[in-house]
Amino acid sequence: MHLLLEQFLEKWVWPTAPGARGAPFRLRITEEKCLKGWEIALQSSLTEIEKGLASGSDDWQRRVALGGYAGEGVQMSIKQMSAQLLSVDLTEQEKYIDLQRMRARQVWDECKHSKLHAEVLMAKGWIKDERELVQNAAAHTQPLPAYFGLSMMFPHIHPLARAAQHYFIEAIACLGIAAYVHLVDDPMVRHEHLSQRDEELMHFMEGKYKIDTYCTTLENQQPVEDTLNFLLHRLRVSL
Amino acid sequence: MPTLRINHERCTECRMCYVACRELNLNAVYVALEPLHRLEIDPHKCTYPVCTVCLAYCPAEGSIVEAESGRWVVPPPADVHRWWLKQAIG
Repeated sequence: MHLLLEQFLEKWVWPTAPGARGAPFRLRITEEKCLKGWEIALQSSLTEIEKGLASGSDDWQRRVALGGYAGEGVQMSIKQMSAQLLSVDLTEQEKYIDLQRMRARQVWDECKHSKLHAEVLMAKGWIKDERELVQNAAAHTQPLPAYFGLSMMFPHIHPLARAAQHYFIEAIACLGIAAYVHLVDDPMVRHEHLSQRDEELMHFMEGKYKIDTYCTTLENQQPVEDTLNFLLHRLRVSL
Repeated sequence: MPTLRINHERCTECRMCYVACRELNLNAVYVALEPLHRLEIDPHKCTYPVCTVCLAYCPAEGSIVEAESGRWVVPPPADVHRWWLKQAIG
């Protein structure tokens, strides 16, 4: 097991609330499903970064920033909002102040992500301002399925499915950030990733907490298992 | 007995500690009545080191500390946190 994964497990995965009733289930899914996926994803990130560093040019940083902008930027925000809005009937939407608040927060959240990637592109001289990205297809297309990944467009099939998505996928995000910080010295690239570390870890903790607290029966565990199976399948197909 | 306090230099105000503490009905973590509405820990309600739930789900390293010594307890050090998942399940 890679040292970065070992450290992640020791610091963030194994500590558990005393007496958490969903903990035995979390241990099983972690060992049976997540560890393998996390190892594969971490190795893939490390290999990609090493390939970029060995290329002799900074172009890989441009591709990472454009991919980041597409994967968690304005386009993504529109999809997230669509998903959230679709979970409430059109005629009901105006009644829920939380929904409006959530939309506002989502816009802020995703634009903050995209800004970090745009800053790298500007600092390196690849674009003059963010407006240029409107004309760049690479800044708005990404290979993730429009379901359940961070680009999901549909309401979740079960509230706890989101917990599985948080637990598995956000751990991969954290490990990816750890890989960049471990291998890359460039201050802009480090900042691009490091500044997101606490947020991704917070999403991971949301998943961990919900599984520990609420996945106490077979009925509540099934949506988590189903989601993990789907996400692992996607990981195998995409790598 | 040591007590806990929030280290506002590190805390991101995500409120995971607030949610977890409330779920157990301890309500030791609260939102302070001050302009920034920051999280605080009531030492009279907090049962640390018996309960360590907030430490297990806090994502910001060093954001909860032992008030007396200032020692960081996120992520929870081994001597503080007896409930490591694998050990707990056996």
